[in-house]
Amino acid sequence: MTAEKQAVTITADTHPFLNGLWKQNPVFVMVLGMCPTLAITNSVRNAISMGLATTFVMVVSYGMISAIRKLIPKQVRIASFIAIIACGVTVVDFLVKAISIPVYQALGAYIPLIVSNCLTLERAEAYAGKQPVIKSMLDGLGMGLGFALALTCLGMVREVLGAGTFLGYPVLGSHFEPWVLFLLPPGGFISLAMWLLFFAWRKERAAKLAAAEATQ
Amino acid sequence: MTPATVLAVRTSPHAHAPRSVEKIMANVVFALLPICVYAVWLFGISALALLIVTTAAALATEQMFCRAGDKRSSIGDFSAVITGLLLGLTLPPALPLWMGGLGAFIAIGPGKMVFGGLGFNVFNPALVGRAFLQAAFPVAITTYTPAKALDRFTEFIPSTLAWPFMKAAPITEWMVKVKVDGFTGATPLMLQKFDHVTTDPWSMFLGERAGSAGETAPLLILLGGLYLIIRGMMSWRVPLAMLLSSVVLAQAFHMSDPARYPGALFVLFSGGLMLGAMFMATDPVGSPVTSRGMWIYGILMGTLTVAIRFLGGLAEGVMYAILLGNALSPLIENVTQPKTYGERRKAVAK
Amino acid sequence: MSSPIIPGPAHAPSAANSIRMVRLLGAVSLMCGLLIVATNILTKDRIQSNQETITRESVQELLPGIKKQVTYGLEPSGELKVLTGATGEGKKFFAGYDGTGKLVGVVIEASERGYADVISALYSYSPATQTIIGFKVIDMRETPGLGDRIKSDIPFLANFKGLDAKVENGKEVHNITTVKHGTKKNAWEIDAISGATISSRAVGRMLQKSVQDVTPVILKNLDRIERGN
Repeated sequence: MTAEKQAVTITADTHPFLNGLWKQNPVFVMVLGMCPTLAITNSVRNAISMGLATTFVMVVSYGMISAIRKLIPKQVRIASFIAIIACGVTVVDFLVKAISIPVYQALGAYIPLIVSNCLTLERAEAYAGKQPVIKSMLDGLGMGLGFALALTCLGMVREVLGAGTFLGYPVLGSHFEPWVLFLLPPGGFISLAMWLLFFAWRKERAAKLAAAEATQ
Repeated sequence: MTPATVLAVRTSPHAHAPRSVEKIMANVVFALLPICVYAVWLFGISALALLIVTTAAALATEQMFCRAGDKRSSIGDFSAVITGLLLGLTLPPALPLWMGGLGAFIAIGPGKMVFGGLGFNVFNPALVGRAFLQAAFPVAITTYTPAKALDRFTEFIPSTLAWPFMKAAPITEWMVKVKVDGFTGATPLMLQKFDHVTTDPWSMFLGERAGSAGETAPLLILLGGLYLIIRGMMSWRVPLAMLLSSVVLAQAFHMSDPARYPGALFVLFSGGLMLGAMFMATDPVGSPVTSRGMWIYGILMGTLTVAIRFLGGLAEGVMYAILLGNALSPLIENVTQPKTYGERRKAVAK
Repeated sequence: MSSPIIPGPAHAPSAANSIRMVRLLGAVSLMCGLLIVATNILTKDRIQSNQETITRESVQELLPGIKKQVTYGLEPSGELKVLTGATGEGKKFFAGYDGTGKLVGVVIEASERGYADVISALYSYSPATQTIIGFKVIDMRETPGLGDRIKSDIPFLANFKGLDAKVENGKEVHNITTVKHGTKKNAWEIDAISGATISSRAVGRMLQKSVQDVTPVILKNLDRIERGN
């Protein structure tokens, strides 16, 4: 409860879009939605597609949730949120299939799983269920794009190291020995750990600098 | 703080005589040296270079992590040397040197120092490094070369000298040049698994076969292990339990279907079972301390080894068997704690 | 959430409240259902044609130079049936014809359990010479860098240019088998990829079973397939 309250007070004084994109990045700061983060980031293309699909679901369903937020009784809010999110996911499922079959095959079972991505429900509960429509959609857009950004960061590390390519184009020359590990599930954990380490190190350094300035 | 007090945090049974980490570790190095020498004799300067690179990289990584963590340097306790040597001994001799170095970095860094250094790691560091390499470079780590190749003391295997992060040169031409009769680039285990050709256990006992640098000399491994056991620096229960259980299980399989499963001697002398049972399963950090626990731990690993070899998709299973054993050892230790004096079962107390 | 949206004790919802909840949930579900149905209607044709295009392109790739394709369905009774689309359930194969209407070959669907999951593939077969003339993996989950080389390894794919698949009296003359890398001697053997024996063997088994299954039917109905009806 206290953590939630805190989140709300933080969101109140920052722009909802920038908040999701960077300040409270769903993957690097809140560490939410780990299932797709680890599972489908083995290429940049998959990561971007998954990120965009999630963004779409979040923007559309948060708009709807926010629009009817005053009508929803408290006792059934989770059920209504899930129904609306699941509807958005099904629509995305059809759309991706209609746009590109290869992308659909690559994302496989993970599109239906957007509905169980805890990020989508968390933002519906913490934000869209309480805020006006435009702000909620902006929050969905920011969180979704922040998620896409994080997935792309992971996908970049994994594709470049694991296959020597970026978006399918070879970038490390033909003699590079690919680290197959990064295409396999453990590679997802290792690259996520490396990114989290990098952000933790940056944060610690910033805190140290601030402390040093304060004492001067 | 003296090194002796660093190690003093231990559950019973306590060692009777005060023995320092350095002394035990140095003795393990002595026990490993004959195996290293024999590996170099069999596989030439490529194996020598690989062992030097893995050991040097292990030491450098340990030093680097100690410095980054503002800790007293721990490279003097020989444990990094052992990790480096063991890693080198479990790798195929033709592996590019940069991969060996990377493996040693992973072994010591994420495998040991991240947990807090010697004594805190969950898994055997050398095997963590090897598992990483196996997953990252599945082709390079299954490219084996024949033992006693021509010119092995004057020429490197071409793949050894690959540029860092670059593909290794193909070794097909080199294989033709040094071809030992009928060699196909497969270890006895691979031959058995994929082509149903069983190698004679006696020739495997002598070690003149393809394989990882240090796994092909059962006799020297056995002697090294015995030396450590006799000096009381290593538990005899774990290797005995592991070897015995794998032999028994393999023999049972063999008797059920002799055409499909090789015999007990083959299982004993092939692959890294001997090296794993003597030098890696016995790592005091990763194994339970209770004697009942040691038996369970050893039997578990022996059974897993045979199960992976016979029933799984891989030709060799020692590495994963030991890593799984390491993961389970805290649990084993927990359920095999001896009863304290005066402790009774709850039902009786009621 | 600390502040209740609806005033009143949350633990004892009144009857009116319950009816309101049910009504609202019903309305939400109805709205979602309508949205899903609408999207389905709008995208159905696109999805169908996308899947068709993918299959047709693969067939084209396996039988270069063909101008016309006919899809045949294989009934459980052993009868052939011309299908209108290239997708759908059931066993089927695709016959390809050149500009003059002459049969170039047929492309057959096959699948088999590999190292990690089912490998599904298409292969082209020439009834005139009774050989397999091409092979393409459609879907698989084999280990990257090892097993997945069955899709791209050029020496391995060269196995399928003229692989003997002769059938006599409804039985294969020589079973297609996968042999150890570098030991291929006969036209019905597949030279395995070194280091990817399990995946290579799965391909061998897949072809052996499928040739045994499908080619006798093709040869029996060859006149009909040559006419394209």
